[in-house]
Amino acid sequence: MTVAPASSVDERELIARVRAGDALAERALYDAHVDRVFRLAYRLAGDDDLARDFTQETFIRAFERLDSFRGEAALSTWLYTIATTVTLNGLRKLKRRGREIELDHAAEVAGGARRAEPDLKTRLYAAIDALSEKYRTVFVMHDVEGYTHEEIATALNVEVGTSKAQLSRARAKLRAALADFAGDWIT
Amino acid sequence: MTDDRIDQRLRELARDYHRPPAVPREELWARIVAERARRRAAPRVLALRPWLRWGLAAAAVLVLGIALGRLTAPATQLATAADTTGTVAYRVAATQYLTRTEALLASFRAEARTGRLDAQFAGQARDLLTTTRLMMDSPAARDPRLKSLLEDLEVVLAQIAQVPAGRAGEEVDLITQGIEQRSVLLRLQTAVPAGPGARVQGAL
Repeated sequence: MTVAPASSVDERELIARVRAGDALAERALYDAHVDRVFRLAYRLAGDDDLARDFTQETFIRAFERLDSFRGEAALSTWLYTIATTVTLNGLRKLKRRGREIELDHAAEVAGGARRAEPDLKTRLYAAIDALSEKYRTVFVMHDVEGYTHEEIATALNVEVGTSKAQLSRARAKLRAALADFAGDWIT
Repeated sequence: MTDDRIDQRLRELARDYHRPPAVPREELWARIVAERARRRAAPRVLALRPWLRWGLAAAAVLVLGIALGRLTAPATQLATAADTTGTVAYRVAATQYLTRTEALLASFRAEARTGRLDAQFAGQARDLLTTTRLMMDSPAARDPRLKSLLEDLEVVLAQIAQVPAGRAGEEVDLITQGIEQRSVLLRLQTAVPAGPGARVQGAL
């Protein structure tokens, strides 16, 4: 269940209550945003345990640093910024330790033969996995999770134009990776 | 087929990419509550890696220097004057630390733009990271604004300390983004008093 976004007045009041140590307000803030945070973490990590860890860390940091939230952007955007930072940093750490999620699986299917749609999906997922971090993040946030370019730009601290350009390049790379399926695109 | 139609098909197919399960709200909330309680209760533990030992040694020298300065102050000074000396010594040390950190981050940001990073950044960041952690455990952290700044500095310095020399890729971009996002330099400049004299002598 997704809780409808609060109005700016409600949100300011909620933030003030959390800052004052109101546990119920903390829970209300969590309830309002946990779905999108978890979904984003899961989409990027592709692993339930990691998504839980990243979601947990996102909210812990958010509660710790709420005093530094200046209200220049929506609270949700601020939270997504923390969520993307926590998730991407967490995935980088795993990568450094040589435990990149499903890398073997991705490599295995990337070179697979051209077949019917299930294979097209598998190839697409492998191609998404093979994108560089910045392209994959923008593609997942925009085309899969429906974030706006403005939200993405704030979360990743880039210009809106950069977000659009990266999405365009990500799509181009995916089209190129799946070029041999061109005849099967519309079925 | 046009790129637009292909992209539309891509989006449809990508909906199942890492499709999330139902959000385990209650379980996650319980974990968050438990972890926050644990962190509040747990003392901060420093991992004594080799570089950290050197950093700690450097910080210990700084603290020892301040202590010696206080102990060797003229005995004729009144207690209030001695207290003032100690406070000033502490403030000078803290101001120097903030000034050094500001200089490091400003240089780091400037070099990151050129695409080449000097190896000295990681070493300096390690030194300052040690001092940052000592500051976090000092009375300075009672000031909420300074505490928040120190926490952000800890993250940024830890990241810089791990950047390999000569590499200025996405990792470095993320660090500079973090510096911008959290207005770290601006907050540092606010914490360090203005004016050439104040950089050494001024209060925090």
